Amino acid sequence: MTVFRSIRRRTNSWSILSILFTLLILSPALSIFVQIFEKPNENWAHIQEFLLKNYIQNTLTIVLFTGIFSILIGVSLAWLVTAYTFPLRRFFKWGLILPLAIPPYIGGYTYHGIVNYTGIVQSTLRNEFGIHANPVFFDILNIPGAIFVFTIFLYPYVYIITRAYLEQQSASLIENARLLGSGPLELFFRVIIPISRTAIIGGASLVILEVLNDYGVVSYFGIQVFTTAIFQAWFGMGDVGTAIKLAGILMSLVFLILFFEKALRGRKQYSYSNAKVRPLEPVSLSRKKTTVLFAYVTVIFMLGFAIPFVQLFQWMLLTYEKVMSPEFTQLIANSVYVSMVSAFIIMAVALVIGNFTRLSDGILSKAISRVTVLGYSIPGAVIAIGVLTFFLWLDRRLNVLYEWLNIDAPIILSLSLIMLIFAYVSRFLAIGFNPVDAGFDKIGRSFTEASRLLGKPLWRTFIQVDLPMIRSAVLGGYTLVFIEVMKELPLTLLLQPFNFYTLSTKAFQYANDEAVHEAALASILIIFISGLSIFMFHAVLEKEKR
Amino acid sequence: MVMQLHDVTFTYRNAKEQTIRRVSMALEKGEIVTILGQSGSGKSTVLRLIAGLEVPEQGEMVIEERTIFDAKTFIQPEKRGVGMVFQDYALFPHMTVAGNIKFGLKKMKRTERDERLASVIELVGLTGFEKRYPHELSGGQQQRVALARAMAPNPSILLFDEPFSNLDADLQVKIRDELRTILKKTGITSIFVTHDQADARAIADRVIVMEKGSIIKTGTPALILS
Amino acid sequence: MVKKKTGLLSGLIGMSLLLAACGGNEDAATTTPATTDEETKEAGVVNLYTSRHYETDDVLFDQFTEETGIDVNVVKGEADELGERLSREGEATEADLYYTADAGRLHWAKEKGLLQPVESDVLNENIAENYRDTENEWFGLTKRARVIVYAKDRVQPEDLSTYEALAEDQWNKKVLIRSSDNVYNQSLVASFISLNGADAAKEWAQGIAGNMARDPEGGDRDQAKAVVAGIGDVAVMNTYYFGQLLNSEDPEEVKVVEQLGVFFPNQETNGTHVNVSGAGVTKHAKNKENAIALLEFLSSEDAQGQFSEANFEYPVNENVEPAELLASWGEFKEQDLNLSELGKYNADAVKLMNEAGWK
Ligand SMILES: Nc1ncnc2c1ncn2[C@@H]1O[C@H](COP(=O)(O)OP(=O)(O)OP(=O)(O)O)[C@@H](O)[C@H]1O
Ligand SMILES: [Fe+2]
Ligand SMILES: [Mg+2]
Repeated sequence: MTVFRSIRRRTNSWSILSILFTLLILSPALSIFVQIFEKPNENWAHIQEFLLKNYIQNTLTIVLFTGIFSILIGVSLAWLVTAYTFPLRRFFKWGLILPLAIPPYIGGYTYHGIVNYTGIVQSTLRNEFGIHANPVFFDILNIPGAIFVFTIFLYPYVYIITRAYLEQQSASLIENARLLGSGPLELFFRVIIPISRTAIIGGASLVILEVLNDYGVVSYFGIQVFTTAIFQAWFGMGDVGTAIKLAGILMSLVFLILFFEKALRGRKQYSYSNAKVRPLEPVSLSRKKTTVLFAYVTVIFMLGFAIPFVQLFQWMLLTYEKVMSPEFTQLIANSVYVSMVSAFIIMAVALVIGNFTRLSDGILSKAISRVTVLGYSIPGAVIAIGVLTFFLWLDRRLNVLYEWLNIDAPIILSLSLIMLIFAYVSRFLAIGFNPVDAGFDKIGRSFTEASRLLGKPLWRTFIQVDLPMIRSAVLGGYTLVFIEVMKELPLTLLLQPFNFYTLSTKAFQYANDEAVHEAALASILIIFISGLSIFMFHAVLEKEKR
Repeated sequence: MVMQLHDVTFTYRNAKEQTIRRVSMALEKGEIVTILGQSGSGKSTVLRLIAGLEVPEQGEMVIEERTIFDAKTFIQPEKRGVGMVFQDYALFPHMTVAGNIKFGLKKMKRTERDERLASVIELVGLTGFEKRYPHELSGGQQQRVALARAMAPNPSILLFDEPFSNLDADLQVKIRDELRTILKKTGITSIFVTHDQADARAIADRVIVMEKGSIIKTGTPALILS
Repeated sequence: MVKKKTGLLSGLIGMSLLLAACGGNEDAATTTPATTDEETKEAGVVNLYTSRHYETDDVLFDQFTEETGIDVNVVKGEADELGERLSREGEATEADLYYTADAGRLHWAKEKGLLQPVESDVLNENIAENYRDTENEWFGLTKRARVIVYAKDRVQPEDLSTYEALAEDQWNKKVLIRSSDNVYNQSLVASFISLNGADAAKEWAQGIAGNMARDPEGGDRDQAKAVVAGIGDVAVMNTYYFGQLLNSEDPEEVKVVEQLGVFFPNQETNGTHVNVSGAGVTKHAKNKENAIALLEFLSSEDAQGQFSEANFEYPVNENVEPAELLASWGEFKEQDLNLSELGKYNADAVKLMNEAGWK
């Protein structure tokens, strides 16, 4: 009887949809995950003997330091922007998110272009000042260089989440700490970092995932990491089996990290209390301190955005005539189109799953909320193969239908944009789901329950109560996904339909053949559009506050 | 008899023991019943079961001759005609006072709705506050909006889960007297959870005492609380 | 104020929906290659998977369409991944041609059964035997040599002789070459396995790994710059990158590269390593005739000349003169090797370089 009742109570369109979406979207990732248990072949032994140890060591080094530096930079900026006044503060509030608009591999190319032997730095020293600096000093194609690139272009994940969190904190918490005699540094390390732990870990885990599944930066930098092993097995040895096995291991590793994240996060906190806390008001510092603070913020902004942007702009001017063509309007349209559609679908799916997992306490719903991240945990090319296989299978199943409809082509879906968009959704679901999940976490269940007791069924409740209450989380998720898709490369390369190019693949077409200058125009456009969407998101949020 | 609860048993997921053990009760029309008991004795859970926010393992419930749940039936919360005032009020922060109160008034004409709003808002003494947002109200005012919102759709039963716990002592006394007046005036049947004996004495027609998930005593306030 | 916010949000959502609705149709028209539609049947189409991203290629495709009326549909990706996609699509594939750099990859595609033999007198005529598959499953279309470049101020051409010599002590800490992940290096080593045997090749790889001026990093162009920067004295790179650097829009790059000389190694012994980029008709091509027509067009004297002029690649068509810059480097002796061998030994080469400690 219990089972019957609880099934009845819990079976609604939400749960059915959630399970359906999850299965559908994650089937490519799951198909990879199960293959780690397959028997290894002799390539596996080779990889283990000659590559793995070193690769894992490199991977861990990069992940560890990128994680630490992103946290230090992201949290400190979040804190400074929230707590103190300084010139241009209103601009920096969103300006500090802008590095996210630059795809790390393009940032990597750009920085290498700046500091290499013919780059602006060394050539200026050489030609203007006659200084022949030791070129090794400017070498960034190494592990520290990769850590720099990842940190400076990914720290905004930590910054965004931590800032949003700190803005809701009660002023009295900070004031109390001050009264108890904490200096600014002590306050930062002993109060700010500990209380923002959850937010920090949330942001840092996005950074780490991004680093773990990156291939663009490390392959250009010639650094051998875990993903290199996957690609070597796959392409170097033509052994997809071993490659997938490695990807599966990576996926398990990510799962472990996320498990820790969840454990660290501990019990959920519902905190949309009615007793409104007095929000933190920024205070002004002494002139000297303000200068130092301003300098710090400016330096980060310059490194993460202004410098690479200006360099790309200069390259764009160099190659503009050669590269510019009417095709670019189509490229912009394509990029914006797939980004918007994917972001929209992802947010819709994330809302359905998020609402389901918060309203039911079963193990199933917990599991569903965890597996949304699967697609984000392995290199794009590997996921792409999973998606392709899945769609080819679908096409074969649908062949009867095609024949019946008198379409004389064996594959339709796997040559269409649907496959590509599906792949984006599968990959970036986690990016959209995280803020939605956090948003639901924050409002808790009592509003929903109140609405239902006032006679509104789940769907109406969702539209009238839940959605409006988490709209800024939804908008934030939408923006992040939009940018991610805009920057995305490996999936697009592998799953693009005929004659379908985006800004990202255009930039790649040049950069891949070391024509970095020619890649500048497409890169600038990506950055501009992503930057614009960050600005729009910020503007909407600011307007809401007033 | 407005409502009857028979032999209801319930266990929370993860809980080792039954949270609610064979609880039965019956409410007369217009009666105000208070459930008293120590923290963790299962008071809130009983309310949630009545409201339909939890699914019982066993037992039956009937409201106004309609079976709400039994072995075969489970009516969803929104269809039960049960109102509830939450401990933290759960006022929708993105709606005005008027929006909150009108929220549950469906299938009514616009004019009817406005009339209903005006009458309940007058009842709780908040006329003139319609356009405010919840965070622009004091704690006592928020509490009264929550009451108005729950009463507006004319529920068969109104449930209160420690509605005064967010208020200071003076306000608590004032509001609880007001509340009794309002409830009696409108004749709404209500269940009232508290662990404050003074509350129970002031407001209840009948008191039910719970311990470890079971009802151990029931009777008039004078009898139980002496 | 609340209304406004929700309005904005729903506006955003509505916009995406709208885009999804109308954009979808529009894209379907441009992206689905029509193999069977009535209208295209007359002239037809040819569908291409390519990992070459040069503008020259696009220009040539346009010319082809102009001449023949056959539309060229293109997916531009990375070589190995496109191969994987082709392989997974199997019989169902819409791709007619697989076009990529490096003979090793072309051979891999052949081995995987992704290509089919093509009988064409035009192709046999235009493309020398060494640059096409023994069974005519793929055809080289452009040629490049992997040469040694040296700092003119520090190294005399007389000091240089062979690839093998670079592995000797004389060049300790002086050699610049990119990582073993790179297919050009894999093919280089594969050619040594084929010509000199696996042991000799491994010894060489170990020698090179030991003589490196720094751990491998960057692309071929970066190796050249590193020589000028004084990090090492010699670098191994493909000829066309050198040509591109010399013709860069960035005057600084031109200035720097002018300090380098090009040396064709192994002229006294078994020849300089050459490789091709090329294409093959896919096994399950739906437009085989058109695919062959495109191949023939690309091997024509006219197209070959354009490849060379615009991209500093050597023509495979012997009737065509290489671009001026290439011609200025003179003729050279090539490895006597059917390029299929590069593919045959690719996996061995990868393992061998790993074992030799070539990062
Ligand atoms: N969501 C839940 N999951 C598991 N156990 C729960 C949950 N909610 C309550 N319980 C447990 O069920 C028992 C009854 O809880 P209930 O909230 O009904 O108590 P209560 O009488 O309302 O207490 P209080 O006066 O403190 O509000 C307690 O032991 C409590 O720990
Ligand atoms: Fe190349
Ligand atoms: Mg309670």
